[in-house]
Amino acid sequence: MPEFLSTVVDKFTFKVALDRYYTAEGVWALAEGHRVRIGLADYLQQRSGDVAFAEVKPEGTTLKAGEEVGALETIKVNISLASPVTGTVVEVNPALADSPEAINQDPYGAGWLAVLEAAHWEADRAQLLTAEAYFDKMKSQAEEEARKT
Amino acid sequence: MSGSGPKALVVPCSGIGKTYGSVAREAAYIVTEDLRPAETCLVALSLLVMGDEAARAEVAACPAITLDGCKLACATKMVQQSGGTVAKGLDMLDAFRRQREYKPQGIAVLNEGGQKLAQAVAEEVSAIVDGLLPAAPGQGEPHNA
Repeated sequence: MPEFLSTVVDKFTFKVALDRYYTAEGVWALAEGHRVRIGLADYLQQRSGDVAFAEVKPEGTTLKAGEEVGALETIKVNISLASPVTGTVVEVNPALADSPEAINQDPYGAGWLAVLEAAHWEADRAQLLTAEAYFDKMKSQAEEEARKT
Repeated sequence: MSGSGPKALVVPCSGIGKTYGSVAREAAYIVTEDLRPAETCLVALSLLVMGDEAARAEVAACPAITLDGCKLACATKMVQQSGGTVAKGLDMLDAFRRQREYKPQGIAVLNEGGQKLAQAVAEEVSAIVDGLLPAAPGQGEPHNA
């Protein structure tokens, strides 16, 4: 069970797991040996709304960091998800086919998207945000959104 | 509640400003006004929230079909808290997952996808109603939805 940073903006609570790295857009990457598990940050899933469909590139797909690794259709938006790492998809969360709501219910756990065999993890990691840096960025975004509404 | 004979209640989401709430309400209107007007009765969720005695009595006496617009499932929870029985609860997001071609958009006015999704949900509800209620005397044939 990871530890979290959390903030309350308006009536919403947003959590950031401390044990992983993040893209600025809110996709997390958790190193597991040579492999990297990826998923959505809490803020991104809350902002996007309830997930109706989640589609992830199939196993065997080779991607560069920044290329689309998956797409979500939520009640609000359709979003493309950029891979935080270069590598090959070796596992796709099988639960998402029948229960895409897992992304909303447990974004840092059961709602993970995929596992990639990372080709250049150290180099990719240097381009990602630490949890603390992402937390600050996310908080600013959330507060800006709250001011607009 | 008007009319005689057993009734099924349809209790939709009351979420104002939410697309899937609008789908739930539209579906409830289609069932109670067009598809099964004699067999169903719409109960406004707000009446249950306020503790309206007549609404609570209806919910206590008749099976309810709840149409929830989001995972908070307020319609289902309020029927249960009002002493009623949820014969079947339908979630509008799950309905969309079953009918992906009907993408609902809009709030005050649903787009074509939303209207078609509401119609599909209404037909699903009508089939549930037919399974819940005994056929009226001389009414051996099922309804055409």
